Amino acid sequence: MRVRLFVFGVTALFLLSLIVAVAIGSESLAFGEVLRVLRYRLTGGLGAAPDQTTDLIVWQLRLPRVLLALAVGGGLSIIGVAMQALVRNPLADPYILGISSGASAGASLFYLGFLPPLLSATLSMPLAAFLGGLLSISVVYLIARQGNTVSVTRLLLAGVAMSALMAALTSFVTFASPDTDRLRAVLFWLLGSLDGTTWARLPLPAATAVLGLLLLLVLARPLDAFLIGEEPAFNLGVPVEMTKRLLILLSALVTGVLVASSGAIGFVGLIVPHAVRSFVGVSHRRVIPLSFLTGALFLLWADLAAHVLLRGQILPVGIITALCGVPFFLFLLRRNAYRFGP
Amino acid sequence: MARFRITSLLLAALPALLLLPACTPPDAPPAALTITDDLGREVALARLPRRIVTLAPSLTEVVFAAGAGSTVAGVTPADDFPAAVDTLPRFSALPMDFEAIAALRPDLALATDQVNNPRDAETLHTLGIPTVFLSFRSLEDIYRGIRHVGAWLGTADQAEAAADSLERLAQGLQAATRTMQDRPLVLFLIGDDTLYAFGRDSYIHALIELAGGRSATGDLETQAPILDDEFVLIANPEVIIGAFGPDYDPATLLEKHPTWSSLDAVRQGRVYSLDPDLVLRPGPRLLEAGRQMAALLHPGVLVEAP
Repeated sequence: MRVRLFVFGVTALFLLSLIVAVAIGSESLAFGEVLRVLRYRLTGGLGAAPDQTTDLIVWQLRLPRVLLALAVGGGLSIIGVAMQALVRNPLADPYILGISSGASAGASLFYLGFLPPLLSATLSMPLAAFLGGLLSISVVYLIARQGNTVSVTRLLLAGVAMSALMAALTSFVTFASPDTDRLRAVLFWLLGSLDGTTWARLPLPAATAVLGLLLLLVLARPLDAFLIGEEPAFNLGVPVEMTKRLLILLSALVTGVLVASSGAIGFVGLIVPHAVRSFVGVSHRRVIPLSFLTGALFLLWADLAAHVLLRGQILPVGIITALCGVPFFLFLLRRNAYRFGP
Repeated sequence: MARFRITSLLLAALPALLLLPACTPPDAPPAALTITDDLGREVALARLPRRIVTLAPSLTEVVFAAGAGSTVAGVTPADDFPAAVDTLPRFSALPMDFEAIAALRPDLALATDQVNNPRDAETLHTLGIPTVFLSFRSLEDIYRGIRHVGAWLGTADQAEAAADSLERLAQGLQAATRTMQDRPLVLFLIGDDTLYAFGRDSYIHALIELAGGRSATGDLETQAPILDDEFVLIANPEVIIGAFGPDYDPATLLEKHPTWSSLDAVRQGRVYSLDPDLVLRPGPRLLEAGRQMAALLHPGVLVEAP
């Protein structure tokens, strides 16, 4: 009953939020006009043509930004779920474990011209971010491992250390770069922002987030087995080593692509899976899709807050998620007896 | 059963997300005017722009100097000159508030690579707002920028006159200081705590030359160096000019950098401060900053105001 209620609530909230998010922003628009834009665009030209400015704001600015918020929020949340299953600890998150800052460093290195473009221009930066994230999480994971278990203390400390190292690397290349005008762009990766999203920039992060979702849904049963422990999982027939490598690769890939498109937005992958689990339990078949939806929602609302909190000034959305996420993280840390599920 | 339902619900929602029609900006009518901007980008304009937004304060000043101030439809929160901007709508520039800009319905955005992110131009493009970048690394860039803006906005004659008068002002300064033997070494500082300064490729060194001095930081490789006390001690400038505002107390600088008491500039009491808006915005008021600098470096020399 509780599960159904949660599913129903999240879905209803999702649809409602979509409409609210395109109707509210830094400019106030007439709600009827916003609906007219949506009807006109979605039906391919039915009804009266909407006001041109409203059309630009709703269709070219808000909708791509909202969809990117959904993809990034959902993607980061399920990667949070994957990381937490991998290390069997609910304190894991792509930001805390240094994947995001590794990806930021990779993206900055590429952007400032320290890495050669291997693929086309649009794919090289996500690739660089992926490799940065992969390097970071590999180091953290190898350091935190003790035999078949992962030490939480080492994990968090290694994550903090790698984050600091990667941030230092980003700062270093920023200062070393002869091109001072690009500093602002690097700041964007450090703080995270969804502003300036266009339709053209949307497909890659959206497809990656969805790919991550589908792959993790396939892996739902092995992930469940992981919660019991690696040995029991192995005895249940789960290819443990391969699954772990796959999880690390997938986490670095999804985080890298998302960071390249929206910067390092933290703590989404920490808050969301925790909240979802407290409603629907630990089964990954539920946790993964619901985390995706809830995470998408969370970032959507955080981005909305970033636009309306201060009048006349937009905030980078990463500030909002950190303001929500850090107290939450500290709260979880304090509850040292924390285990998965209710 | 609940499991099945969640998954299928999600799977049903996915194609909708992916199939949302990707959209291209509306077809542009044939261009009446093609501009090549300072970054080498070609920008086609359907007609003479009537409503523009300036994405940095220096650009606003350039547009007003070019005689096209009436076309400015919105400015950033940092804009405060000329007074006519006080009544104009504002939009957040860092990060860029695209919604506010779209709501102003401009037909051209002016940007500068020294403040704005080229990535923003792509987003403005999808809004149907062509974006032109200006780059001000020398005084000549500013004269040229004023002339270009005048040509783009249909006020070429006024812009020409404004640029000419700035050039004459520069020539007047140069004539007054050219033959001077005593050319003090000037350290120009942007910050008094963290010692931000100008490295190579800046107009500031030419301005100091015009004012009859020599710049201490013109050879630095980085464009926006942060100096350390050692550099300053070894350079031993005869004059320090900061962009700390006209009310700055020179004693503050010595409090923050006690070792500087040995500097010639400090011992001779030649630590000055100028209005940052005047000297840090690469715009038409730079020559006024140059005139003030000349008056500080060579108190006896009289340079006529424009």
